[in-house]
Amino acid sequence: MTRTELIGLFEKTATEIAERDIKGLSELTEISSLGIDSLGILELVGEMEKQLSIQLPDDQLVGLTKIGDLLDLVEKRRKLAS
Amino acid sequence: MSDTKLASQVYKLYAEFFDKAEQERRWNPYRDVPWDRVNRDASEELALCAETFFAVESYLPDYVAQGINIVRESFGQTWFSANWGYEESKHSIALMEYLMRSGKRTEEQMFDFHDQLKKLKWELPFTTAQQMTLYGVFQEMATFFIYCRQEARAQEEGDEALRAIYRLAARDEIAHTRFYQSVCKLLLEEDRAGVLADMAYVTKYFKMPGVGLVPNYDGRVMVMRESGIDRDTFLQKVYFPVLKHLGVTRQELVESSKAIRGMEPPPAFYVGREEESRESIPAEASQSAAADAAE
Repeated sequence: MTRTELIGLFEKTATEIAERDIKGLSELTEISSLGIDSLGILELVGEMEKQLSIQLPDDQLVGLTKIGDLLDLVEKRRKLAS
Repeated sequence: MSDTKLASQVYKLYAEFFDKAEQERRWNPYRDVPWDRVNRDASEELALCAETFFAVESYLPDYVAQGINIVRESFGQTWFSANWGYEESKHSIALMEYLMRSGKRTEEQMFDFHDQLKKLKWELPFTTAQQMTLYGVFQEMATFFIYCRQEARAQEEGDEALRAIYRLAARDEIAHTRFYQSVCKLLLEEDRAGVLADMAYVTKYFKMPGVGLVPNYDGRVMVMRESGIDRDTFLQKVYFPVLKHLGVTRQELVESSKAIRGMEPPPAFYVGREEESRESIPAEASQSAAADAAE
């Protein structure tokens, strides 16, 4: 899955959680700007983990500010998994 | 597990908590704080933080009255609440004494401030005993962490009296956290799915007790932020450790949070949010979750 596809997956999952359309995101989008509360963000990450069959360590979820940071982490875990 | 067996187990937790408190943790705010080591030159910021915590602790009558009644069916939890009230009362006394003895506030200012505080009333943030127990875990743990940070800050400013107050209060807070955690473990054994759904709900609509009550709370939080607790710190120091202690995985909680999607926030969630209409606060606009509210 490319990074663009990962952003697409992020948008789809965020839309589901926020129950409103979320699109036009980029790697530079601040996660906090999405208007999703912290539990929602964890839910979003959890859904992505499920879709991608990976598990991100809790301690590495701290300090994620931009969508690109999350994608970096996802790619790193996917490489490790493969 | 029968209701009687559960009640008996909660009582045993309380007995253990109380015995340990009597043996190892009792302290006297007038005698056990080194009042001769107050640093009268410590910063106003330090005093403002102390005043804020004093303010939050000042809603004790509401916490006790409402908190004790919601758990009155459980002997152990009711007696715990009584003891909890006693311990928390010492925190506000110690902080008030600090503010006056340090010369940061006069007696008149303190009682005027208290008068102001009394005008508002704290309401239970959640409506069931189980939800309030879960709330207690996160709230007490967050307070423990905040007091530890303040202790370090008081030490940096050479104020040994304030340092001792925060150390003693933090020790109480972590003991309260452990009690709530132990009760939660029992509840999880009883009805894991139900407890997890409540946990997701509580973390979604969590807010610290001073929000909407303490005058200029947001401004005070800005002052505290550096030594306080932001979203990431909350996750790292409070949220994940609590989940780990309870043997709950993030993935489990994520699954449970799906079950609460679309559920209405608890009535008290709107307190202090009068400027926002209820219609404007649905999930996407909510700044609710524990981490956000802790900021």
